[in-house]
Amino acid sequence: MTSTPGSFLAKYIFSTDHKVIAKQFLWVGFAFLLLGGTLAMLMRWQWAYPGARVPLVGDLLFSHSGGSISPATYTALFTMHGLIMVFWAITPILIGAFGNFCIPLLIGARDMVFPKLNLFSFWTFALSGVLVVAAFFAQLGPAAAGWTTYPPLSTNIGTPGWGQTLMVAALFVTGASTIMGAVNYITTIIVLRAPGMTYLRMPLTVWGLWLTSILNALFVPVLASAGLLLLLDRLLGTRFFIAGALGAPGAGDPVMFQHLFWIFGHPEVYILILPAWGIVGDLLSFFARKPAYWYRGTVLAMVLVTLLSGLVYGHHMYIAGISPLLGLGFEALTLSISVPAVILFANWLSTLWRGSIRFTVPMLFALGTVFVFGFGGVTGLLLGTISTDVVLHDTLYVVGHFHFTMAAATFLASLAAIYFWFPKMFGRTLDTRLGVIHFIGSLVLITLVFGGMLIAGYSGQQRRLFDPFQYTFLRHLAPLNRFTSYFAFALGATQLVFVVNLVRSLAFGQRAEANPWEVSTLEWTCAPSPPPHHNYETIPTVVRGPHEFSDPRVKVALGRDWLSQTEEFPAQAASGEFRPS
Amino acid sequence: MPFDASLDGHRIDRLVHVSLVFMIVLLAVMIGWMVYACLRHGRRHAATCDDGNSHRAKILPLGIAGFVLFIVDGNLLMNSTHDMEQIFWNFPRAEAHPEAVRIEVNAHQWAWDARYPGADGKFNTADDIVVLNDLRVPVNVPILFELSSVDVIHSFYLPSFRTKIDVVPGQLSKLWVQAQKTGEYEIGCAQHCGVNHYKMRGLLTVLPHEEFRDWAQEASAQSARAYDLADRTAHWGWDWK
Repeated sequence: MTSTPGSFLAKYIFSTDHKVIAKQFLWVGFAFLLLGGTLAMLMRWQWAYPGARVPLVGDLLFSHSGGSISPATYTALFTMHGLIMVFWAITPILIGAFGNFCIPLLIGARDMVFPKLNLFSFWTFALSGVLVVAAFFAQLGPAAAGWTTYPPLSTNIGTPGWGQTLMVAALFVTGASTIMGAVNYITTIIVLRAPGMTYLRMPLTVWGLWLTSILNALFVPVLASAGLLLLLDRLLGTRFFIAGALGAPGAGDPVMFQHLFWIFGHPEVYILILPAWGIVGDLLSFFARKPAYWYRGTVLAMVLVTLLSGLVYGHHMYIAGISPLLGLGFEALTLSISVPAVILFANWLSTLWRGSIRFTVPMLFALGTVFVFGFGGVTGLLLGTISTDVVLHDTLYVVGHFHFTMAAATFLASLAAIYFWFPKMFGRTLDTRLGVIHFIGSLVLITLVFGGMLIAGYSGQQRRLFDPFQYTFLRHLAPLNRFTSYFAFALGATQLVFVVNLVRSLAFGQRAEANPWEVSTLEWTCAPSPPPHHNYETIPTVVRGPHEFSDPRVKVALGRDWLSQTEEFPAQAASGEFRPS
Repeated sequence: MPFDASLDGHRIDRLVHVSLVFMIVLLAVMIGWMVYACLRHGRRHAATCDDGNSHRAKILPLGIAGFVLFIVDGNLLMNSTHDMEQIFWNFPRAEAHPEAVRIEVNAHQWAWDARYPGADGKFNTADDIVVLNDLRVPVNVPILFELSSVDVIHSFYLPSFRTKIDVVPGQLSKLWVQAQKTGEYEIGCAQHCGVNHYKMRGLLTVLPHEEFRDWAQEASAQSARAYDLADRTAHWGWDWK
């Protein structure tokens, strides 16, 4: 076994240790989360008080427009908010940080199979982050064509200037980073599982991350190629997406970009949510002290969603002029996703049922994830259906829906993961009381904010309006928008509790034991907190699944309600009729 | 939802409302189940070691999935397909109406140009009525739109008619509606189309028959008088397709 690398640079900056890289992704992800969240606060201010001077920061940030947000700045705000949150906040935190931290530890490996590729993946991501920050300093402002970057608006016709170009380039670069990570994760899970760690003994977290990586490897290249063609249009004057504009001759087609974007974009929703589902599935079992209900069914449902995810993208384009037959096909496939979704929910709730639930902070956040994902799931029904989608398309109803699924659910699941693995990552424990306050504030306010958006959209309010109340039919929604903004500001403020908890616990938190949660997976039962470089002194041998709880015979033999994934069944009980799973 | 002025919007509203009931029931079951388990099966409750792998255990998840697929999804799919095929995509029926009104819309940053064929019934002729953001239509007859854009993608949004369609440069989009109530209704842009996207607001005024006929005759005659053959940019219309 190699020793810990010596120099500071090799240990903390250019490290190939998956646990260090995980933390690098985590900190950069947090920084961008803070930035993206700040942009959201500014947008909410604009919807509460359109055109009014922004308090506190207005004179500093918007001096050229008298301290208030100009229409041009507003378009940049929502564009950058969307791109940053999806690609530079949720992706690095859920996939970059927890993918990196969990995969080797949970499957009993010493590191990723390609540690250097892992290093390159992070630094490529860091480069893309530099491009994002640079875009804010571009002369005509950062990207402003919406996170969907639809041409011709995203070409020089609609959004000239370096800001948009830098962001498209940043997307391409971060795509390269994601593909490197995906290849590494997929291969690691295939070849580095510890002896006995069969696919159906893997924790659901690993299943979620694995399926996500497969989707990333398949579909991020599609986004990258769309971005590359768009870059060529912007930089070299090609006309992949702009012919047709101004009646110019040629075969370019703006809608082709939408196909490419959504072939990637719809799987992207599942790319972000699959790790969350996996984490939630594990945590519910861990803290209900019960085996995950119908584990194989949950795995099957996640695999089904993965398969379907690439076949439903057309529901983003019902009103983009696609053929009715194509629309109907996409509609039927989209609605059929409710089958695996229902199986997941029923299995989660059945896991809780007749358990012995321990309301730890990670458990609270896992329950919160199920709650908000429920809202996100059912509200999607009206958007998968053509006739009702036509009405609600491009309204705040869509925004509320995808924030419940892509933002609220992934955010709460990320926090569940942080509160759960923090002791293992840093060897210290986060404060429980602050954690509970953070949870209650976040869950209540996040539901109110995105619920408010659902109602505004249901009432007809389009998304991305600088001043929605230009329309008389929306004027009565001003109080709704204002109150939603108040809740959003409170939600933002609540996160300060977490920042305090994080900083304080990193410095002074209680030292963590090896297995404070009393669970059965390898990282808790076979390694100290935090694990050393290369994790395991000897590679553990796995003899059972990850959710071994509350077997009465174990309780009799060992006096506890759990069994490690590596533990043989106690001899005296093994003589009975017990069948290991 | 906004005021419904259209002939067929109520079908969509009804489907939305029925689905809302389903959604609320599903959410209530989920939340009730979760809350009950949390209240009753807490730390003091002894856990039962049920891994849910028996055939009987799978009945519940599969049963709910089947209910959602066949009842909730089925209802949505059947009604939506019926409404789209019989009404919203049924252009031949709308075209066949003898008094149907045809309008070409040319979207640009940030306004809606609209063109009526005028007295001769042909587009791109001297008597075309051309208006900006101010469309007038008669009540109780089908109104057919053909739409295109000169710059970026816009989306022609009629909240009071429960419909919208993207307007894409280089493409022709089609839409039809029928008003049931006279009055002024707003046209919105639903697709981000640049800095002043929020200002791309038009009006669709639904008039009684005679009033519309009088307006159209007068406007068409004025257009013919003011027609300028040399003003090429004004001739943006196309043959009705």
